[in-house]
Amino acid sequence: MSLGTLRATRLVRALVLLTFAGCAGSPSERGPVTLVFKYARILGNADPLPSLLREFEAQHPGVRVKGEALPWASDDQHQFYVINLEGRSPGFDVMMLDCIWVPEFARAGWLLDLTPHLQPAELAPFFPSAVAAATYDHRIWALPWNMNVGLLYYRTDLLAKHGLAPPETYEALVEQVRLIRARERDPALDGYLWQGKQYEGLVVNVLEALWANGARLITDDGDAFPEPARAADALRFLRGLITTGVSPAWTTAADEELSRRAFGDGHAIFLRNWPYARDLFEAEGSAVRGKVAFTTLPGRARGEPGAGSTGGAHLGVSRRSRHPALAVALARHLTSERAQRAIALGAALSPTRQALYHDEELVRRNPAMPRLHALSLAGRPRPVTPYYLLVSATVQPEFSAALVGVKVPERAIEDTRVRLGHFLGALR
Amino acid sequence: MRPTPRTVADLVIVAALAAYAIPFFWQLLTSFKPEAELLRIPPLLPSHLTLAHYRVVLEQSLMPRALANSLGIATLTTVAALVVGLPGAYAVARRPVPGKRWLLLAIVASTAFPQIATVSPLYLLMRALDLRDTWTGLVLVHASFALPLTVWLLAGFIREIPIEAEEAAAVDGAGLAKTFRWVVVPLLAPGLASTALLTFLFSWNEFLFAYTFTVSEASRTIPVALALFPGVFEVPWGDIAAASMLASLPPVLIVVALQRFLVRGLVAGAVKE
Amino acid sequence: MTRREAADRRQGMLLLAPTAVALGALTVYPAAWVLWLSLQHRVPIFGVSRFAGLDNFAFLTIDARFWSAAHTTAVFTVASVALEVVLGVAAALAINAQRRGRAVALSFLLLAWAMPAVVAAKLFEWLYHPVAGLINVALGRHALNWLGDPGIALAAVTLADVWRTMPFVAILCYARLLAIPADLYEAAQVDGAGRLATLTRITLPLLGRILLLAVLFRTLDALRAFDIMFVLTGGGPANTTETLTVYAYRALFQTLQLGFGSALSVVVFVLVMGVAWAYLRILRTGSVAA
Repeated sequence: MSLGTLRATRLVRALVLLTFAGCAGSPSERGPVTLVFKYARILGNADPLPSLLREFEAQHPGVRVKGEALPWASDDQHQFYVINLEGRSPGFDVMMLDCIWVPEFARAGWLLDLTPHLQPAELAPFFPSAVAAATYDHRIWALPWNMNVGLLYYRTDLLAKHGLAPPETYEALVEQVRLIRARERDPALDGYLWQGKQYEGLVVNVLEALWANGARLITDDGDAFPEPARAADALRFLRGLITTGVSPAWTTAADEELSRRAFGDGHAIFLRNWPYARDLFEAEGSAVRGKVAFTTLPGRARGEPGAGSTGGAHLGVSRRSRHPALAVALARHLTSERAQRAIALGAALSPTRQALYHDEELVRRNPAMPRLHALSLAGRPRPVTPYYLLVSATVQPEFSAALVGVKVPERAIEDTRVRLGHFLGALR
Repeated sequence: MRPTPRTVADLVIVAALAAYAIPFFWQLLTSFKPEAELLRIPPLLPSHLTLAHYRVVLEQSLMPRALANSLGIATLTTVAALVVGLPGAYAVARRPVPGKRWLLLAIVASTAFPQIATVSPLYLLMRALDLRDTWTGLVLVHASFALPLTVWLLAGFIREIPIEAEEAAAVDGAGLAKTFRWVVVPLLAPGLASTALLTFLFSWNEFLFAYTFTVSEASRTIPVALALFPGVFEVPWGDIAAASMLASLPPVLIVVALQRFLVRGLVAGAVKE
Repeated sequence: MTRREAADRRQGMLLLAPTAVALGALTVYPAAWVLWLSLQHRVPIFGVSRFAGLDNFAFLTIDARFWSAAHTTAVFTVASVALEVVLGVAAALAINAQRRGRAVALSFLLLAWAMPAVVAAKLFEWLYHPVAGLINVALGRHALNWLGDPGIALAAVTLADVWRTMPFVAILCYARLLAIPADLYEAAQVDGAGRLATLTRITLPLLGRILLLAVLFRTLDALRAFDIMFVLTGGGPANTTETLTVYAYRALFQTLQLGFGSALSVVVFVLVMGVAWAYLRILRTGSVAA
């Protein structure tokens, strides 16, 4: 891997995984007003954020913005926020949030209601699904910052060589894997890579499998698995991918990067991942450069068409911020078209403003942008509920147990229903 | 005499030494290994040794801050537990206190106390008193948690001191404070040292409370900082090894320099009745 | 009661007051509070705080994850304590029989026991590394996915814990062995007792009481073990290494379910106290010589 690829990898990954290292910002003299911005630090020379923050300072004389690093894993970030926000004034004004946390934080009263600060049509340029994720109780609590959607990557060279078109169903995908592997006779070539480690990514992957099979995780009324048989079938299908060798055994330990790397090294035919992976596959020195394309995730043969799960990061303002107007201005500045273009150019994260997908400069750099726009529009959000984290934390071990085979799918589904019933019942 | 048992003992010793020495030295070696060679095995030995990991840990990570926090918190915990526990232990050993039996039972029972049992109310308490992220909060919790063992150990050591010395001092008209200062404490010095070491190590090593009551990075103690050591792309095994070495420094010093007191305390804690 | 005695009592109570206050405020009071919390539905994020009676405990009886964690706790405790006792006694006997190298051996054992559990966990995480871990390098083609395979992760965690805490047993036994008067052994030799007979008739019985104590302390520690699995596996894979304490912690602080999590804490608490009480009874009534 070349240095350039490495740098791009680092940059992107840092943002995607919301990571950090060390402290951001310089501890120079304090102005009369200091805003603190909590975000996952982006490493590398091309980190667009410091210059965006300096830009904001230039536009607002006397205001200093201090960037502060968030912990490494999403779990730790959530715990950091919960313990810092719960019952006291946090030491920050603007915070980067995983979009699934917005309803929870809004309901807990930690976020400033942005509705009165927004112009009537201000959110029209954003993806409706991203705006929906920022909405709770008919009010807007955060500004969408970057957009994610689950995609199926495939090796164009391998599919073309064997005269295949990208699969529209999982059944076809499995068939293609069998065919290609039988003909290629390469024991190191894996079939379909996805994320099966016990973490939020697993929930996303299972959700996509549930949707493809016409099952839901939870209804708006809080009922878990309204279609238990279909849900169990979806889990069994995922487990089957591993037992039949379509997906490697290490899938149960795979996160985005582990699977992205194996595919990027040319060791797999299909991969489920987020848009950031494309830029790394196309980077200079990549083993699969020019041999990769993406399409929508498959459906099931007798089910609905597939859809990728949407995700992304939002910017919220602490309700206890002492400078709410300035904090809102900062969030607005960072989600502006200019800033999002800079971030998309520097760090390959997808914008939340739809127009940017047809922006000349961005399309020149990434011709797949318009296609990505269509797939992002077609994506499905994870359940929007203030109890999302509780739901996710409850289902993660059950899904994991079903995938590694220590529980039969029906049992995992039933155990989850019982648990969620109790926990959600306690909240009513 | 047949040589078998001696040989067996020798083998056991060698195996045990290997089982304990190799992990230490492996971690030590890892902390000096160049980054590029960490995941490339064999060869086992690095091409050269480097201080790069220590430089990263000392200059770019939060470990120095965590070391300072841990040193401060463990020292204050030790002082607090001894200052509160010594008079208590003296009373237990030398004074007729009503309900002493029950008190002793309570003390023994609280040495068995699982931390998880009180962490939720203590969290609410720390929140209410705004003591999260402070040394005060952790010192209070650590000291109170170490207190039963402190009292237990010290009471045992005090009983070993001949009571005649104290009686002689009392006859000479020395008050309790004077007796304490000039008779009890000097005779108790080795016992105090053993107790202090165990308390210090407890606080230095404690993870559950420290993890729960510290949120900001700047307030983390060593075990928490190590457990949450940030990896950005890969797990930084070399940096973690270097950080582990720094975290083990006080225990190593104590084991090497003060072994006698440590063993005495450890054994006394288990056997004293 | 003489005036002197009354004064002594007063003084004793005064001296004990700080200890009593500290224990009362930060141990007894929270212990009562946790009981109260366990009877509530309490989720501060959502402002939920109401009395729930035994709801949380009733749920535990049908909670599969709870039973799985209880099972894991039991397996972990029994396996680790048994291994520690066997290896600890062996190590103590070996060190005792040794003339040279005692100090070095003792130092390494002590070090493993004295360093933070988190350090030991990190050390083992590296030893267990699938590719570059020393253990897998030694195993060569038989390399195992130690922490990722649900079939062996608990064994891997147990092994790490045994490594860290076996020295405690070894040192206690060694200290006891040092205190056995040499003439006992001489007498045995005069009686013509072989080495095995000496071991089973003299040494082991004399170790009995201290071993029982060591087992008590180790069992209590194993039941409340947290650091090692929290850092090493986080309870995974597929929750196969999740003990009751780890489950309680996750319930408490991953989602701030303070009521439900406290109910789990209470279970651990009762378990630990029950075991402590049972052991103490055995110690008191048992005729194990000391």
